[in-house]
Amino acid sequence: MNKTRFLSIAVVSVVLGLMLAIQFRSTVASQNKNAGVPFDRAQELSVEMRQLEKERDALQQEAEDLTNKLNQANKGQAQALQAISSELNKVKMMAGMLPVKGTGVEIVLDNGKAGAQSPAENLFAVRDDDILKVLNELRGAGAEAISINGVRVIATSEIRLAGTFINVNLTRVLPPYRIEAIGDKDILSSSLEISGGVVEYLRSMGIKVSLEKKEQINIPAYAGRNRFDYAKPI
Amino acid sequence: MWLGVWLAVLGLFLGVMIGLNVPLILPSIYAHYMSVAVLAALDSVLGGIRSAMEDKFDNGIFLTGFFSNALLAAGLAFIGERLGIELYLAAVVAFGVRLFQNLAIIRRHLLKRSYVIKEENRLSR
Repeated sequence: MNKTRFLSIAVVSVVLGLMLAIQFRSTVASQNKNAGVPFDRAQELSVEMRQLEKERDALQQEAEDLTNKLNQANKGQAQALQAISSELNKVKMMAGMLPVKGTGVEIVLDNGKAGAQSPAENLFAVRDDDILKVLNELRGAGAEAISINGVRVIATSEIRLAGTFINVNLTRVLPPYRIEAIGDKDILSSSLEISGGVVEYLRSMGIKVSLEKKEQINIPAYAGRNRFDYAKPI
Repeated sequence: MWLGVWLAVLGLFLGVMIGLNVPLILPSIYAHYMSVAVLAALDSVLGGIRSAMEDKFDNGIFLTGFFSNALLAAGLAFIGERLGIELYLAAVVAFGVRLFQNLAIIRRHLLKRSYVIKEENRLSR
């Protein structure tokens, strides 16, 4: 009987010592790690710093690019032509006139219930404003090029209900709607998937949403009409 | 009695050594639970010492009390966190009060014993 008593005392004291030591060590470790600053704040600041560094790098690169072009333009006719064409290329890319590729995300929206497919009839169908919400979020998260079912979305693109279908650039798109966007794939996907965000909202509305990060996304050029009848440069 | 004390000290030392050398740091989320569990365990140990002094020590009660108190305290902290009530405070208060009580009773026992020894020494002289 005494033997078991001593055994239990020994076991209990070993366990107690273990607990004390582990608790002591984790307390010390957590105090050292923060060094007086709350953990959240430090994280926030480091994120901000990274963002600013990225911005600074981009601006530096742009400045270099522009000075290069200026130099080339100063050098002579041939170089000037080259500079103009490269500038033109850049502007074309901005306007969506060039097919582009890069990393990004692919979001597929599909009607929750098979059967009645038209957004006007089916309560659970994907609506034009659902697609707009996703697009808005993508743009806000820094997407550089966006297409819906292979139709390039540019500055003048519309997304609206036309009869029982959704039109993009006056082209009819049919479900499932595959929205592809080029940009930082982590930022894009996390801004869509943030809790309370668009993806959660759409799922709660009964829409099937799948989101995939991709290393390579190809987005075609804008293929529609391109004329300005009323707007003129000032 | 003294063998038990030495065993306890030795075990404590062994446990601390293991704890300091194991490359495991508790995530700070669990530190809360562990701290209350440590308090509960400390209370059980003091309770055990007290009952040993009163000659009422029961091995089963001691062992089950040690582990169930620690688990209950950690569980209370866990539930409290889920419910948004700081339930671990209940454990802290309850075990804190009992710690002091147990310590006071142990102190009284020790004092009484030393008086008895003094009396015996005086009488035998």
